[in-house]
Amino acid sequence: MKKIAIVGSPNVGKSVLFNNLTGSYATVSNYPGTTVEVSRGKAVIGVDEYEVIDTPGMYSLSPITEEERVTRSILFEEAPKVILHVIDAKNLERQLALTLQLLEAGLPVMLVLNIMDEAKALGMVIDTELIEKELSMPVAGIVAIKGSGVDVLRGMIEEYSAKIFIHKPKLNQSEEFDYNAGIKRQERATEIARAVINYEKSAGTGIKERLSRIMMNPFAGGPILLFVLYYGLYKFVGTFGAGVLVDFLENKVFGNFVNPFMIKWITAVLPVKILQDLLVGQYGVITLGVRYAFAIILPIVATFFFAFAIIEDTGYLPRLAMLVDQFFKKIGLSGRAVIPLVLGFGCSTMATMVTRTLPTKRERIIATLLLALAIPCSAQMGVILALLAGRPLAVLVWLGVIIFVFFIVGFLASKLMPGEEPSFYMEIPPLRLPQVSNILRKTFSRLVWYFKEIFPLFIFASILIWLGQITGVFGVLVRIIQHPVSWLGLPDKASVAFLFGFFRRDYGAAGLYDLKKAGLLSGNQLVVACITLTLFLPCVAQLLMNIKERGIKIGIWMSVFILFFSFGVGFMVNLILNLFHIIL
Amino acid sequence: MGIQPLSKLHVKDKGVIAYLHTKNKSQVQKLMSIGVLPGMHISLIQRFPSYVFSIGHSQFAIDKEQAGAIYVRVAKH
Repeated sequence: MKKIAIVGSPNVGKSVLFNNLTGSYATVSNYPGTTVEVSRGKAVIGVDEYEVIDTPGMYSLSPITEEERVTRSILFEEAPKVILHVIDAKNLERQLALTLQLLEAGLPVMLVLNIMDEAKALGMVIDTELIEKELSMPVAGIVAIKGSGVDVLRGMIEEYSAKIFIHKPKLNQSEEFDYNAGIKRQERATEIARAVINYEKSAGTGIKERLSRIMMNPFAGGPILLFVLYYGLYKFVGTFGAGVLVDFLENKVFGNFVNPFMIKWITAVLPVKILQDLLVGQYGVITLGVRYAFAIILPIVATFFFAFAIIEDTGYLPRLAMLVDQFFKKIGLSGRAVIPLVLGFGCSTMATMVTRTLPTKRERIIATLLLALAIPCSAQMGVILALLAGRPLAVLVWLGVIIFVFFIVGFLASKLMPGEEPSFYMEIPPLRLPQVSNILRKTFSRLVWYFKEIFPLFIFASILIWLGQITGVFGVLVRIIQHPVSWLGLPDKASVAFLFGFFRRDYGAAGLYDLKKAGLLSGNQLVVACITLTLFLPCVAQLLMNIKERGIKIGIWMSVFILFFSFGVGFMVNLILNLFHIIL
Repeated sequence: MGIQPLSKLHVKDKGVIAYLHTKNKSQVQKLMSIGVLPGMHISLIQRFPSYVFSIGHSQFAIDKEQAGAIYVRVAKH
């Protein structure tokens, strides 16, 4: 099948155009570097069917990041029939340099000027026909998010692909970067831009720009961050998602209807006790696995993804990144890491995948470690906050210890790990009003991803626990874990929760929740248990993702460290609380 | 005013990039790839906690080390 590759700098709307051409959905957001995986879809243009490839953002053909390398290899090895170079129309002058580089490489490029509306709002009038003449290539002007100009673009693609017969990129294009050639290209780009852009009166510094300056102000930044965290995370995800929705789904829907109905029905049709246990027993696939997945995890993760999508699409995150950069440098990361780390509060497994957008291996390893160790995912945090509800002092101690661990471990890791100090550069996109349809689609597509990856693991975990119980392995393991658990000053029953914790961190926390409801844990015990569980081994999904992204050696080594470290910290906290007779 | 590194400029200063100077080659490449090239007009928007500048209609945030690598011929006010 003939291929169309969409390329361009980060944050110019490649994914929106992809969605437009194919009718399928790739994640779109207002921060650079969202497209981590290459999306592929099909589009019918004219009478032909094409495979459309949405590539990660690239600034130049000489790759710096892993993503740029991926895009480069698509262009040169997959030999697409048409390459759409998408640029942000208002940045024509700057981004045209890459167009020139693509043309020099002999690639079949078409230029797509996107976000024409924002350029127009700035008073820019762009003569696309003149660009066509100057560069002898087709040029289209579109507003992808509104779909305007896309039909014309389709027609142009049809025409263009009929015209090119042989496609022969100059394969000798070296990856080496050439300073002088870069300057020459920019000179030419500037020359063309000056010729084709006319200015009408511009609207001046708008309200968005003023708001943007406030968001980047270090003194206003703190209160804004607190506002976002309080309303976005605490109120919406914590109180509404983890409180109201979980309560409704768990107690009303599952507690009153689904579980009693399933137990009755399964017991009636399946008169084998051992299979009944598998499906509707204490740790059954339906009564535990499905209930946890749908009634506890789903509402929390869904509300988080929804809030995150809004925050993401406004363009707040790059502004947050520039505010925290200096701070993050102390833990071996740059401001760029704020994106995977914040996403980690939703799903650390997904966030570990997003660490790919970090430029050096060192930063990726440190971010992965911190995600696995000290960033609780939304599901876990929801249950932990429920566990500690009504004990503000306990919440403070838990929070204090986790933040302390986050910085100490980050600081030590940055001191111990060899490699270059990170450097920070990031485009600050304009603030945009999020579009409801995009927010909903993005939330939905992330949830679909989450369920595809995570749901089978819940079921798998239930089956493992069932197997462990009937074979007696589970009992042996629980007895083994009882020792370290008792060193933490916790009751024997808590070891069951810790064993669950290995299958899913939040599973473990949810197990503790049952203990708390039974009145088996004191305030101190709750805090120690929550701290240990937060730091404890990542869930199976994250362990697998760590191995996949960082390699088996680092993945395993990290898990062993976390295992000992989490129990060590729990032990220390318990010791200190006892030593000073503190009762929480 | 002469030529000064971006890190020495004041907020609202404007100028034209004269050259890039750093020991680190990949740093030059990074800056050039985002459009920080000799001849481009640049203006400094913010210095703290990170340097924010605009080139054309884009804004970028960078750290102090990189701001020190961009030498700007400052325009008279």
